[in-house]
Amino acid sequence: MTLQGESAATRPGIELGGRAGARRRGGPTLGRRLRRDPGAVIMFLVLVVVCIVMLYPFAFMIINSLRTETQYLNGSGFSTSSWSGLFSALPVGSELLNSTLICAGSIAIILIGSSAAGFAFAKLHYRRQNVVFLGIIGSMMIPVQSIIIPEYVNLSNVGLVNNYLAPILVYSALGMPFATFLMTVFFRGLPDELIEAALCDGFGYVGVFWRIAVRMAAPALATVTVLQFIQIWDDLLVALLLLQEPANRTITVGLGVLSSGRAVSIPALMAGSLISALPAIIVYLIFQRYLISGLTMGVSR
Amino acid sequence: MAQAEVEAVRVRPSLREGSKRGRRASGIARQRARAGIVLTAPAFVVVVLLLIIPIGEAVYYSMTNWDGITAQWVGPRTYLNLFETPTFWRVLENNGLLLLALPIAVFIPLVIAGMLHEHVWGWKVFRSLIFLPTAVSWVVIGIVAMQVFAANGTVNSLLGALGLKSLEINFLGFEYSALAAVAVTFIWSMVGTNTIVFLTGMSTIDPAIYEAARLDGAGRLMVFRHITLPLLKRYFQFGFVITTISAFTGLFSLIFIMTEGGPGYGTTTLEFFVYQQAFAIGAFGTGATVGIVLLVIIFGVNLLQMRILRGET
Repeated sequence: MTLQGESAATRPGIELGGRAGARRRGGPTLGRRLRRDPGAVIMFLVLVVVCIVMLYPFAFMIINSLRTETQYLNGSGFSTSSWSGLFSALPVGSELLNSTLICAGSIAIILIGSSAAGFAFAKLHYRRQNVVFLGIIGSMMIPVQSIIIPEYVNLSNVGLVNNYLAPILVYSALGMPFATFLMTVFFRGLPDELIEAALCDGFGYVGVFWRIAVRMAAPALATVTVLQFIQIWDDLLVALLLLQEPANRTITVGLGVLSSGRAVSIPALMAGSLISALPAIIVYLIFQRYLISGLTMGVSR
Repeated sequence: MAQAEVEAVRVRPSLREGSKRGRRASGIARQRARAGIVLTAPAFVVVVLLLIIPIGEAVYYSMTNWDGITAQWVGPRTYLNLFETPTFWRVLENNGLLLLALPIAVFIPLVIAGMLHEHVWGWKVFRSLIFLPTAVSWVVIGIVAMQVFAANGTVNSLLGALGLKSLEINFLGFEYSALAAVAVTFIWSMVGTNTIVFLTGMSTIDPAIYEAARLDGAGRLMVFRHITLPLLKRYFQFGFVITTISAFTGLFSLIFIMTEGGPGYGTTTLEFFVYQQAFAIGAFGTGATVGIVLLVIIFGVNLLQMRILRGET
């Protein structure tokens, strides 16, 4: 019976007002369901347990960030000292700025490159196009660990190590194949007639891309942005190797380096972890629909 | 407007076929090809310069004894040398053991997705909460996991509370328990992604099929086993592949934070071995060799998936 009830709502996107929506639909209350369908109640309880397990780390971080070192060891008492001391343990402000700059730069390059190439693959035909397409999309399989050594050497040869450009370029390259794939799939869904009509209005092909197609691609561009933001924001390896001066560190690298110094205060580490996770969580909460559509796009491969 | 429509009709055939019919059509085809090349260029340049050329270089370096300063050509023998190193097999064993976590990392989300798909009370909230950790970095997850598995951590307090004090150990202090701790953390962080993949798959199934099954008197488990699972095959495979690829290439940060590959080589996987060899020891050549082995494995996984998919259709 639960199956029929909400079949209309069965779609991949997650609505932010999920809780309110469920209430508004006014299904039977939990108590009434309990009596009518014990199976559903068992599932509900199991899901509650699953959520507790999934959210435990967040609770752990919040609670222990509100303790001093001794309180952490004793497991009781609260204090805000780790938050007020956070800025001396971790240069949070500048690291957040570094992360933001690197994310913004990489995502800009990925958006421009992938949308242009995706449009070309979907709507414009040229010789050897399939080879180029396979080359770019196939690069999706390359793990970063396989190329990080030459990458590091090449970038240090051109003097870019410790320059923001180094991680920006590497992240752009790593994100480009999947983003291009996603944009190609999206543009294939645009009707040819639309492009022909625009051509007849006197736009060139590049004009059609820039003036018409890009403007219609907002959802796909949002998906690429969210996916890449979370990936780049959360990455350790590339930024760790390519930005070696403490002043250049991203927040994720700063945290990683801080935690590997064994003398660190755990509450401060927890506060820093929360700060570093916050932007990605906010982006997730606002744009989860796009994140999900991007993740599941791979199935249509 | 009428003019535009006439034009569109004339242009359309050449746009579709790209064949040379008449001077005008081929002119358009040429224009289109030029635009195509211009628009592909930025992505192409980035991918070639920063992915494809480095792969070529990595293959070259993998056959040298490069130590960061001098490099001598050794040839394919470097691979044989690597395969003769016991450490390499120890590291590969860790990758193999992590693969044992795979069925669990797929099965748990499958069950969770199945329950969410029943649309129990509050399922949308559950869905959002279960997917939330996907946004959090492996670094943060690792930092918390390190405390959870520590000698005085959550797992040990739970064991103590359950009266299993004899099982309390410092999980990160021994090779296999440390690997198990990494594996559990890995499973935990795959739950969100895989649940969403399966849930999306389930939502593509026509509700009418379910209703028919219900009318025939099939219970929940029967429906899940005989209707949902078979129809989910594609998504199932996708979940398996992304989980496998994550197990091979996604755990660097987690290992870096939780164990730094230790104790000993207890939690060093291939991807971490690359980093260790190249950037900790300075054996760039060996690091590149391991990196190429990793690449070959990932290619293999992808080829396998493509073959399975093709075999179906």
